[in-house]
Amino acid sequence: MYPEPTNIWQSIQYSPMGISLAESLWAFPTIETIHVIALVTVFGTIVIMDLRLLGITSTNVPVSRLSADTLKWTWMAFVLAAVTGTLLFISKASSYMVNPFFLGKMAVMALAGLNMLLFHFLTYKTVTDWDNAARPPSAARFAGIASLVMWLAIIFFGRAIGFTLGVYDCELLNPDEAGFYNSLAQYVCQM
Amino acid sequence: MLDLLFSITEWLRTTVLLDFSFWLGDTSLSLFMVENFWNVPIAQVIHIAAIGIGFASLLMMTLRVYEKAGMTQPVSANAARYLPWMWWSLLVILLSGLLMITAEPIRNMVNAVFWIKMIALVGTILVTLRFQTSVKAKALAGGAGYVASSGTRTTGLALVILWCFIMFCGRWIAYVPV
Repeated sequence: MYPEPTNIWQSIQYSPMGISLAESLWAFPTIETIHVIALVTVFGTIVIMDLRLLGITSTNVPVSRLSADTLKWTWMAFVLAAVTGTLLFISKASSYMVNPFFLGKMAVMALAGLNMLLFHFLTYKTVTDWDNAARPPSAARFAGIASLVMWLAIIFFGRAIGFTLGVYDCELLNPDEAGFYNSLAQYVCQM
Repeated sequence: MLDLLFSITEWLRTTVLLDFSFWLGDTSLSLFMVENFWNVPIAQVIHIAAIGIGFASLLMMTLRVYEKAGMTQPVSANAARYLPWMWWSLLVILLSGLLMITAEPIRNMVNAVFWIKMIALVGTILVTLRFQTSVKAKALAGGAGYVASSGTRTTGLALVILWCFIMFCGRWIAYVPV
């Protein structure tokens, strides 16, 4: 028997879908495998673009053409990673939501998204001026290195989540403990 | 299927691999890997990042032979860009993989899925060498107008599937009982 949910995350975790995902012997590993293949594709295609922005590789290929070649694969894989990631989240929602590495992963993904938006809507507007340049302008190079660092951090946080399963849970929080993480975790657990 | 995997693992347990795993687990490198909580996750991050670079390189070469990407340059130039990255990333995958095996020898070597993965890896390297000839030497001889044969295209697609299969095995090593 499962406990009566005391917050929204437990309601998600102990929903029929959450329970069936958690109880199935093959569902979690299979979904996680698809998540890894999708994430690897996202990372790899992003690296190709980032290295071009940094002027390290594919310098004889116009930036816009390389972007057209890689971006559709990045997005397709990202959608797959997001869908499978959501399913993995549902199966352990209440422990993930207080896991600092999960929260870190979400925060860095938001920053990576912001970096992409800034690049796309500001820097990329002038791409015709530097499309064939072996060394793109500093704003583009900054976007490239920031993206590389953040996506490596996302992979690290993703692995760290797997290594800290069972360490964090609403039930394990100490209500008397102070600090940013504890305050955030307690707020999350009261949702 | 599960019964078969279990039987293979049971058989592996009777071989010299078990003693070898125990010996490996006592080496200083193995102890170094396990005494710090973050060493194994960091090795896995390097492993995954290298898989990403290698897999995306293969994907771009395969898309080029299918004429779905990279059309600004000939197949040979496209291969010159991506082949070295794929081989170097394979080297990093192997080295980080060796660290992970050293950290947890029994979990890996006395495990049917691990050996299925290794067989698939050797097969992938052999098929890659064949693919390399088509996208490098043959493509260079064929000049800018070189169009890959259907055999080369199929080989590229087979490699993409093989890499996915290896990744599948990699994740399932953690889930099969040993």
